[in-house]
Amino acid sequence: MDLANLPLEWANYLSIFGFLCLFALVWFIPRHAVFEDAPDQSRWRDIRLWASLLIVLQLVIYAVFN
Amino acid sequence: MQLYPEQQKTADESPLHPLDLLIIVGYLALITFVGLRLAGRVRSARDFFLAGRTLSWWVIGLSIIGTNIGANSYVGAAGNAFTIGIAQANFEWIGAIPAMIIAALVFIPLYWKAGVYSIPEYLGLRYNQTVRVVAALITSVVAVFAIGVALWAIALTLQTYLGWPIWVGITVTGTIVGAYSIAGGLAAVAFTDMFQVCIMFLGGLVIVGLGISQTGGFSGFVETLISENPNHLQAYLPADHESYPWPGVIFGLGLVLSPAYWWAGQAILQRSLGARTQWDASAGMMFAAFGKIFVPLLIVFPGLLALVMHAQIEYPDMALPWIIKNVLPPGISGLMFIAIIAALQSTIDSSVNSTSLMLTRDVRHVLIKNADPANDLKIGRLLTLFLLLLSMCTAPLVAEMGGIFTFLQTILSLFQGPMLALLILGAFTRRATPQAGLWTLISGVIVASATSYAGVNMLYVAFSSFIYALIALWVLSGVTPPHPDKDLSHLTYSPWSRS
Repeated sequence: MDLANLPLEWANYLSIFGFLCLFALVWFIPRHAVFEDAPDQSRWRDIRLWASLLIVLQLVIYAVFN
Repeated sequence: MQLYPEQQKTADESPLHPLDLLIIVGYLALITFVGLRLAGRVRSARDFFLAGRTLSWWVIGLSIIGTNIGANSYVGAAGNAFTIGIAQANFEWIGAIPAMIIAALVFIPLYWKAGVYSIPEYLGLRYNQTVRVVAALITSVVAVFAIGVALWAIALTLQTYLGWPIWVGITVTGTIVGAYSIAGGLAAVAFTDMFQVCIMFLGGLVIVGLGISQTGGFSGFVETLISENPNHLQAYLPADHESYPWPGVIFGLGLVLSPAYWWAGQAILQRSLGARTQWDASAGMMFAAFGKIFVPLLIVFPGLLALVMHAQIEYPDMALPWIIKNVLPPGISGLMFIAIIAALQSTIDSSVNSTSLMLTRDVRHVLIKNADPANDLKIGRLLTLFLLLLSMCTAPLVAEMGGIFTFLQTILSLFQGPMLALLILGAFTRRATPQAGLWTLISGVIVASATSYAGVNMLYVAFSSFIYALIALWVLSGVTPPHPDKDLSHLTYSPWSRS
């Protein structure tokens, strides 16, 4: 397979697929591992939420610059 | 807005305004003061190299961004954006953020649980001490030259704006960075990085605001850009693009080079290991990832702005200096000038501190059998001084022998595919054995070198050497003696079992 002939749209599909896989991976990590050593159990300290927001922002960015 | 050639300022015009000078002197005094204030806290090697494990998540996050934005980022990225457009931002987005998320959730907790000071130390525990020394030495040699390049870039900037001779620029910068790095260690480095990043973002936002207003507002800017350069707002370039083909960007940059940088880069991860809690360490990296989303505003936007304003420049790397001279008013141009200096300084101080750590512990402790850990602080400070002096001496040579630095950077990139394979199989499985690790590292670099020699694009070299190393490590681990420690629970990632 000649990589140079791959269509440009595939880049966007692959990116979206990659970010969705990452989203699933993030939520596969158990809660206790995320809160290890955390000063308290506040909702905002769940960094899986931070990661999810980052992934959504990335999806929006790559959709805009498609 | 288009500035006609006769309206555009060249490098020799636009003398520095007194307000610019005041801002520059004020910045240098503030950075030195903050750095030296933290010197009193350093009483042990742990204080010096890991800030006594006291750093909070927001300091870590800002410091990571400061360390990450270097000489190439500011000048080179703007120049590349001038040529290829928004695709340059892939280095900040898909080429950073996914790897940073995984670093925060997986690798930082892993290193934290292993209780290590450095990534080579983790590799030493997971594989053997030879892997530890090889990893530390290669990273250290490249770092010395990288610091030399950053010093040279600062000296050139000082010469351009203030007319200082190159040797004066190198000496002044080396002295200021050396003063707070040697006295205050990682804490001083992290806190000064924090100030430096704030200055960088402030300068970047001012450029965006003034640039947009001078080009007829946001819609005017976008319309001009798209009408004259239709592909400059496309995130990916065609698969047959010579430098940045999209398969290379996704597979080479996104899956190999970026993870290798964010999961194994000592200069980056050292501030995470200096966190006050594991949560702060992980949250700091995640916070830095939010910052990375906006970094293209600082380093990519100026290149696009220069294009929209029809900058008359000889080569793309002149895009940012052109913007500073033609868009920013007096006072603000001084702010942008120190933003560039700040980006370079934060890279230098972090590299000096992390290299000193690797030489003190990962090389000295392994090669000198009776090395006394009680001397680590003294040795670390002496090595910091030595590394700075060495880099100051190599700075002019780097400029004349750019080929050598390119060669060393190539060596580092050849090393990253195999290194990443060692990290991944070492972290996620108990199968990887010490001997297999060493032989995979050596043979992986040879495979990468051969592929590179054949003229293959570096992004594909990284990906192919990574795949080779994964297979080789898996196969070789089946025929070599297992790790002497049967219980690898503290060195592998297994959050599903509470241990």
